[in-house]
Amino acid sequence: MPNQSVWTLRETLVTAVLGAVFGVLYLGWVQLWLVLQAVFGAVTMDVVMGFWFIVSIIAAAIIRKPGVALVSEVMAAAVQVLLGSPAGVLLLLTGLVQGAGAEAVFAATRWRRYSLPVLMAAGMGAAVFSFVYTWIRFDYGSLAPGLLIAMFALRLASGALLGGLLGHYIVKALYRTGVLSGLAIDRDTRVARA
Amino acid sequence: MLRSFHPLLKLTLCLAWIIASLVVFRLSFQVALFAAATLLLIADARVPPLRVLLLMVPFALFGFGFFTTSVLFRAESGFALQMAQEQGGTPDVAPGIVLFFRVLACGMASAVFALTTDPGQLVRALMQHLRLPPPLGFSLMQAMHIVPDLRAEMLELRMARAIRLGRPLRRVPAPGEAITLAIPLLAYAIRRATRAALSFEARGLQPGRRRSNMPQPPITWIDWTLLTLGLAALAMITAVIHTGAT
Amino acid sequence: MPDALAYDRVALRHDGALADAVGPVSLALAPGERVLLLGASGAGKSTLLHAATGLFPESIPGSRRGEILLGGCPVESRRPADWADTCGYLFQDAAQTLAGFTVRDEIAFAPENQGIEARRLPGLVAESMTRAGIPQGWADRRITTLSGGERQIVALAALLAQGAPVTLADEPAASLAPAAARRMVGLLLAQGHAAMVVEHKPGPVLDRIDRCVALGRDGRVMIEGAPRDVLRHHGAALAKAGIALPLAARLQLSLPDHINPDLPLQAALARVPPARAQWLRDAVLPTPIPSGETLATLDGADCAPAFGPVVLRDVSLSLRAGEVLAILGPNGAGKSTLAACLSGLLPPRAGRRTGAPGAVVFQNPEAHFSRESVRSEIEGLNHAPDRVARILDDWALTTVAGQHPFTLSQGQKRRLSLALLAETDRWPVLILDEPTAGLDGAAEAALAQRIRALAREGRGIALITHDMDFALSVAERAVLLNRGAVQFDGPCRALMRNSARLSGAGLLPPEAAPVLGWLEAAC
Ligand SMILES: Nc1ncnc2c1ncn2[C@@H]1O[C@H](COP(=O)(O)OP(=O)(O)OP(=O)(O)O)[C@@H](O)[C@H]1O
Ligand SMILES: Nc1ncnc2c1ncn2[C@@H]1O[C@H](COP(=O)(O)OP(=O)(O)OP(=O)(O)O)[C@@H](O)[C@H]1O
Ligand SMILES: [Mg+2]
Ligand SMILES: [Mg+2]
Repeated sequence: MPNQSVWTLRETLVTAVLGAVFGVLYLGWVQLWLVLQAVFGAVTMDVVMGFWFIVSIIAAAIIRKPGVALVSEVMAAAVQVLLGSPAGVLLLLTGLVQGAGAEAVFAATRWRRYSLPVLMAAGMGAAVFSFVYTWIRFDYGSLAPGLLIAMFALRLASGALLGGLLGHYIVKALYRTGVLSGLAIDRDTRVARA
Repeated sequence: MLRSFHPLLKLTLCLAWIIASLVVFRLSFQVALFAAATLLLIADARVPPLRVLLLMVPFALFGFGFFTTSVLFRAESGFALQMAQEQGGTPDVAPGIVLFFRVLACGMASAVFALTTDPGQLVRALMQHLRLPPPLGFSLMQAMHIVPDLRAEMLELRMARAIRLGRPLRRVPAPGEAITLAIPLLAYAIRRATRAALSFEARGLQPGRRRSNMPQPPITWIDWTLLTLGLAALAMITAVIHTGAT
Repeated sequence: MPDALAYDRVALRHDGALADAVGPVSLALAPGERVLLLGASGAGKSTLLHAATGLFPESIPGSRRGEILLGGCPVESRRPADWADTCGYLFQDAAQTLAGFTVRDEIAFAPENQGIEARRLPGLVAESMTRAGIPQGWADRRITTLSGGERQIVALAALLAQGAPVTLADEPAASLAPAAARRMVGLLLAQGHAAMVVEHKPGPVLDRIDRCVALGRDGRVMIEGAPRDVLRHHGAALAKAGIALPLAARLQLSLPDHINPDLPLQAALARVPPARAQWLRDAVLPTPIPSGETLATLDGADCAPAFGPVVLRDVSLSLRAGEVLAILGPNGAGKSTLAACLSGLLPPRAGRRTGAPGAVVFQNPEAHFSRESVRSEIEGLNHAPDRVARILDDWALTTVAGQHPFTLSQGQKRRLSLALLAETDRWPVLILDEPTAGLDGAAEAALAQRIRALAREGRGIALITHDMDFALSVAERAVLLNRGAVQFDGPCRALMRNSARLSGAGLLPPEAAPVLGWLEAAC
């Protein structure tokens, strides 16, 4: 039985490169967000937010060890900073908060369960954390309560769907490509089948 | 000069500039930072001007997004307004324009670091001075190397797909095509990570084992001077802009 | 003194596989001994090497029966990474040996891990680069901007820097031009270093090895002995097991009465009666095909790899229907770049390309895989089920049809990638980038026939290869690339007779050169 909490070399590498690739994809997503925002206005941010939680969910569902969700999200943020994201270094903090939100949910299951509901809950966890963070940063207290509730609901839904559900489908698609063989997800799937 | 500037001090300086550009919400400051970074890229790092221009395209698009949101559509993003307020009241010009230049300024400052720093040197400096564990260091190095390779990999995936489907290759991928490439691209990254792990292991990388490092240039008084000069310049510009504003 | 490496009744099975990949095998490598491991593609050679330091089954999921001893100690007494001071790997795929950093970082990596004094490292890196023949100016180049053969040479330099007393090399020369391959083999198989080498084309290796071990298709040791003896006495058995034989051995098998195995080929040919001319011609040269209309043309084209600088200037070249064109040149000459340009996948930076669109079987076969199993890859070609079965059979993929393409052995991957393009008629122009790298003897012979058949159907085929004999046996025309330009464009046979021109470009005359000479004299 492989050690439950120490990352192997392969797991460290996979976490790092997933963070890097999603850093690039996130930057693309920002462009899309900006276009949508121009058309639909400010709440768009809450609608599209979930995608920015996805790497923590995917990496955690693949590797299934403590810290993976957090580190992959921070890694993605670091890559965006290096590539020159307009949000700059503050993004590292954003990544940390979002990753911690997802990590908290996985921690609550003692890093044992990665079913679809858990993944969606992780997306919602990240949404809650990030909502608190943006509240402090942008002084949401001054907004109308109705708008706040709508924004929160949208962000939760986005975290669950764009983070958890989409993450689940991406993990399934990756599983089919065979690259996950030998990783925790593969071992657990084999055990479940046998 | 930039290329031989110690990576850690260079990182500190670039971060300081970027943080400053986040905090100082002034058009003049953003333009100054943008111009300085571009000049450094062309004059010191000897990046061909055409390449610098190409580099700006994504940032400009990016900034243009902010610009359109906050100016053309008059839907001031909460972000921009907040920034303007933090600076004390309404900004001197439309926040959209400031945001636009801030994107360019931050982008170019990051480019200065990314284009003049060798990932190997950075990672070794981190391992040497900040005691980063080697497995993490080389994973980071792999992540830094994989980003520039994604472009070539994506082209190869597209060529292979065009061949498989019997279609000519389009110059620019259609949006739908780009989305369907995400999974193969991720699979490539994971496969590469898996191979790298095996390669590291076959060549003896092991957590907790004592290892040496290719000798890295030490931090010299020149590096400290550069850092001090850079920070001083930053402080001066900030001061000048503040006195000019009040 | 204990053996450097010993396998005792070792059988290996991959996770999820229904049968053992190899074994049970018993095999020993004495200190300082150099062993050549032969075997058909899929016989389990790579898996056997992976098991030597415990990478299999520690890092490559699987299970092992039997014992492996390294320097007398059981392999599992240390972790695979610890054995890096004892055993150095050159994996079959250079992309596996290297991690994708810069050349300097790659070469310094193993010595750093051994904790070699920091001040000695730069000298060690520079020396390894010099020995492997890498220009010092490449130190900052990233591995992914190198050509296939150049990567292999960097992998060799990294191995030399590691300095382990035992070397395990899996097809080290498969993607190298002949002169570079010789140099590589010379460095790998230096006197006094224990080495186990896998190679499908034993030609350049034969003079430097002490013993030859052949695995049968059942994954067990079939024949063992001194290399010359094995080839002389067991040629028929080896050929039957799918193992490639040198040309002289093949001719001797077919003409046992005329070719004396103890003589060099040139002298042995002197005894062959002129009546055999037609037979010999068929054995080394292709049957002519009348060529048709021009299919694709490059006109004053400047070719550059994607996101790289121009490497070929002012290339003018055309490909006709029914023609098989060999594209030859040293490593890094720009052959793969020319392939992308000639097929129309990458537009030339200057000049023009006209004609029908073309397809390339890439140098890296994995680029073509997109599905979950070998069978579904083939089914993706949209043929009837019985045709699918026949294709699997023709390319010897039936036994692995259910496997994921990425778990195939290198030769199986190559065959699958070739099948995916050779079995559709979508493409009038077909370019094969090093199709024989990784193929065993049987697969190579089948491929040669397939290429001729495609040409006869009216396809225009260009073939990039480092194997001069293969080029000679399937292509009528050849172009030679060197120093950024086309140096020769004409009959393949004429180029193969011109040893000065060949060696000027890092190539060597084919093994069949004496036969060409004989044919010229005889007719
Ligand atoms: N992960 C895996 N799962 C199942 N089967 C595998 C896996 N990896 C390899 N195999 C099978 O094991 C067999 C031996 O593979 P191996 O790579 O050792 O062959 P090889 O002798 O090196 O062949 P080649 O000359 O083509 O490189 C092959 O039939 C291959 O398809
Ligand atoms: N992205 C790139 N950037 C810079 N140089 C490159 C890049 N890609 C390839 N090159 C260089 O272009 C040259 C031609 O490469 P190419 O792959 O066409 O060689 P090749 O003839 O196919 O060699 P091989 O026989 O080793 O496969 C090589 O010297 C290589 O180093
Ligand atoms: Mg093999
Ligand atoms: Mg090539």
